[in-house]
Amino acid sequence: MADTIPLAEARSLIARAKAGDHGALEQVYRAYEGAVYTLARRLSKTPEDAEDALQETFLEVCRSLSAWRGEGSLWGWIRSIAASKALMRYRREKVRATDLLDDDVAERRGEDVPLRMDLEAALQRLPERSRSVVWLHDVEGMTHEEIAELMGMTTSFSKSQLARAHQKLRAWLGEEGAVS
Amino acid sequence: MNDTRHGTTEELLAVRDGEGSAWAKAHADSCSACGAELYRLDQMRARLRALPSYTPPRDRWGVIAFQARAERRVRRVSAFTGLAAAAALAGLLLVAVRGTGADPLAERASLRTAMARSQAMEQALRDLNPESRALNGEAAAAVADLQERIEALDARLGAPAVLGNDLGTQAEMWNERAGLLSALVDVHTTRVARAGL
Repeated sequence: MADTIPLAEARSLIARAKAGDHGALEQVYRAYEGAVYTLARRLSKTPEDAEDALQETFLEVCRSLSAWRGEGSLWGWIRSIAASKALMRYRREKVRATDLLDDDVAERRGEDVPLRMDLEAALQRLPERSRSVVWLHDVEGMTHEEIAELMGMTTSFSKSQLARAHQKLRAWLGEEGAVS
Repeated sequence: MNDTRHGTTEELLAVRDGEGSAWAKAHADSCSACGAELYRLDQMRARLRALPSYTPPRDRWGVIAFQARAERRVRRVSAFTGLAAAAALAGLLLVAVRGTGADPLAERASLRTAMARSQAMEQALRDLNPESRALNGEAAAAVADLQERIEALDARLGAPAVLGNDLGTQAEMWNERAGLLSALVDVHTTRVARAGL
């Protein structure tokens, strides 16, 4: 998404927030709560996890105001915190192993699903890690290097996850292409 | 590389993102199947971006603002400790030089013990790293109350007039501070135990 607060205004808001102005912090929260929650929903398993990530993200923003130096986009900074909080469970629960299982389950479940799904349902059906990669890359515009760092994987693995996700989406959406 | 094969999804995604190899770019230009696949990948990205946003089901700002204020207080309390301890030690030296009617040795020992208790509790609180966990409403209210009382006490301990107080009064204030910090530690410890962490 585009930054909803112009850079000059963002600098002023953060300066006021650093001085203890909670009204300024609330303005930042109101501007980005929807974007952070949407990102967290796409990266989390449950809406409850996404709500927790939303709360943790803005608490971290309150704690780390000095970390944003006013040089880059405020949304870019908040987004990286949000993605990190939403993906925290990967690192905590070591989902790597279970994600492989998720892949298998998703493949098997494929036998029972309707021939065509809508994009929303197909996206939800992707294994958590593939869904995160496709969302962070294709929607949020993050590079494979940034995603690899966030998720603790290599860039080549991020690229292969993206390709697999697109192949699955195409199959589930009933859009078999001419290229194998 | 030759043109006897089609581009893989990964190769075509790289072309879509402006990072593909020279071969993949040239092939996608000349091969109708790969050109169509490239177009489809581009369209898929546009469709993903067009998916609707979510709205948080509940307004979380109240909880966030409350906890952010509580954390700010903890940081201020921690920063205060060093200053207040230095002021009390200065008071100890002053009294030692001037002398008082009461047993100065016993009063000094009592003040030192109270200050050490307060500092030990401060360290215990830091070790629990309370900022790393979210608080529920009940715990947050208890924490906020204790922190306000500590702040009020710190304001009294930091006032110049305190240096004029007798050592016994200062020791009482430091003991009270240690007690409040101990209660704060208890609240956080209980939460950690309940969460099974």
